[in-house]
Amino acid sequence: MSHITSIMKKEIREMLTPGSVASIIVMVVLFAGLGLMINGEVEKASTLPTIGIVADEDSSYYDYEYTDAEGNVHKDSWNPVKYLQYLYSDSADKIVVMSSSTSSSDEEIVAEMEEKGIASVVVFPSASEFMASIEAGESVDVRQLYLYEPTGMFGTVSTSAVSLVLSYANSNLSSILILEGGYTNYEFVTNPVTYSTASTGTYVNGTIQYNISPDSITNAVTSQTMMIPLVIMIIIMMVGSIVISSMGSEKENKTLETLLTLPIKRTTIVAGKIVAAAIVGLVYGLAYMVGMSIYMGSMTSMYTSTGTSVDLASIGMALDLTDWLLVLVSMFFAIVCALGICMILGAFSKNYKSAQTMTMPLSILAMIPMFVIMFSGWYGSGSMLQAVCFIIPFSHPMMAMQALMYGDVTLVLEGIAYMAVFALATILITVKLYNSDILITGLGQNKYYQRLTGRK
Amino acid sequence: MEALELRDVRKSYGDREAVHGISLTVHEGEIFGLIGHNGAGKTTTLRMISTLLTITGGSISVFGHDVATEPEEVRRIISYLPEDAGAYRDLTGRAYLNFMAGFFASGQEKEEMVAKGIELADLGERIDSKVDTYSKGMMRRLLIARAIMPNPKLAIMDEVTSGLDVINSYEIREVIRGIAKSGVTVIMSSHNMFEVDMLCDRVGMIDQGNLILLGKPADLKAESGADTLEEVFVRAVKG
Repeated sequence: MSHITSIMKKEIREMLTPGSVASIIVMVVLFAGLGLMINGEVEKASTLPTIGIVADEDSSYYDYEYTDAEGNVHKDSWNPVKYLQYLYSDSADKIVVMSSSTSSSDEEIVAEMEEKGIASVVVFPSASEFMASIEAGESVDVRQLYLYEPTGMFGTVSTSAVSLVLSYANSNLSSILILEGGYTNYEFVTNPVTYSTASTGTYVNGTIQYNISPDSITNAVTSQTMMIPLVIMIIIMMVGSIVISSMGSEKENKTLETLLTLPIKRTTIVAGKIVAAAIVGLVYGLAYMVGMSIYMGSMTSMYTSTGTSVDLASIGMALDLTDWLLVLVSMFFAIVCALGICMILGAFSKNYKSAQTMTMPLSILAMIPMFVIMFSGWYGSGSMLQAVCFIIPFSHPMMAMQALMYGDVTLVLEGIAYMAVFALATILITVKLYNSDILITGLGQNKYYQRLTGRK
Repeated sequence: MEALELRDVRKSYGDREAVHGISLTVHEGEIFGLIGHNGAGKTTTLRMISTLLTITGGSISVFGHDVATEPEEVRRIISYLPEDAGAYRDLTGRAYLNFMAGFFASGQEKEEMVAKGIELADLGERIDSKVDTYSKGMMRRLLIARAIMPNPKLAIMDEVTSGLDVINSYEIREVIRGIAKSGVTVIMSSHNMFEVDMLCDRVGMIDQGNLILLGKPADLKAESGADTLEEVFVRAVKG
């Protein structure tokens, strides 16, 4: 037993290095942060959305009489604005009566929505039209207009929340019709107010797309881009691991010392290593992208067959050749940035084993934007998270596809420019390290490290 | 012109000085031995000569080229063989020599360099085996061949026979003698005083970063009345 204990103690001591402990802590923090983020998204989605309403506010949409407990007959009227204000009595500021009228065109209403920053509006017909239909026993279709806002995984909930609000209005009118109106047509009386995708208009890329709801667009975009952050993260980690391991094994086999005394410039060695790994990285990347496009193709056909698909090309959101080239350029620069970081980290590794631990910071840097972009999305994140994502170069190819679908070329170009500067900086630092003693002696002999750790 | 000149060379790691002002000269065509116990500063000195480590103080010149200001010129005329050095394990011995020769020559010249390397390595058919199948002795022969094939003016060898058996050590010493005869200057470090005594024209003894003795083995032995270099070293260190 004591032998087992001795061996176990030795193994645990070897395994629990400061690096591995730090990685455990970082993982806990990362997942806790992720949990909080999801919680925030869910809470945001479950609260009543701000809704605009277009209706004749002061007219009656349905006149009826009712008898109270004492047998007195009262006249009353139903008005959607009044009802929604009653429904929202706890959060009155979330229901906005639009100044557009029931006779306004959709373009006019959308212009007002943009001006007031209201993403969803329900448009009732005029009171007279509504009342005529109800009295004729015909259901009335209420239109929904949306401004499309690209959001994260939970960003589609507002559409269903609007449907929920309309279902309350429908139930309310339905009960009045049953109790006071004396209607007996079941189909009509249970659904006097109808609302469907057919009467939904979504303002996207400068035009109103009918028969398309925002969540169906988000579904289509998500189904095509959801795996991208994961793929980029895998590529970054794989390429990083190749370079760091190569540095580690060069040090372990002492081939690096020989290489550094050859009559070649240090920049040549650094460039040779980075370019070789970038080529391998791009091959990986292309292989993954081919796999992904097959996967996406099958996903799209699955959506098409179930009839819930939105043809992104028809609403101007499909990627063209230039967009794909931008995605590739973004990916290439992210790989070069990863390699630059790895060359710096690799310079501090002592051997193959320590090189493996060195990949941890890179993995964390690749995981943070992956989680943020997969769950919250660039456009759904707050400015703080956006700043964090922008600083981490690997975020840019992760969000490039979505950004290009939304026509946000500026974000992608800014990302590429930032990554170019980042890559150049890391390469310059690497060359500087290759010209210093650290590559041979490691951190242990560095005076700043010695002062920091108190070791000599 | 001297092959190698060290003038008051100092090296500090952080606040700790590992080499305290060493000055010595190595003549052209000479085999010079640096001896000292572990951590004495031998490897640090050889690494500074090889341009791998920066110099904190003093200067080093190799055939008139300063290692601090002209490192690329120095790298063209030296060959450094680190202690326990290895080769790229997924290459064959021939491919490794071919890869290395590519940094010094091209075309016919490169072919001739590789042929010379293969002859020096003397590995027979095993030159076409993967490096990771080589024994320690075979690996060392391959690396010495790599170091010598580009005709360096100064060969720097750190503990070149450490860990080798008697036969391999003997053969490698013969190779080094051959190199020196062909006009290459050699500076080598070793723990093995017997080896240094047999091989080196002159030796420098280093203790705790200081050069404590310098001269021909026979002169050093005569001066201290010792029979072996080992005795000379022990007396010099222990006083």
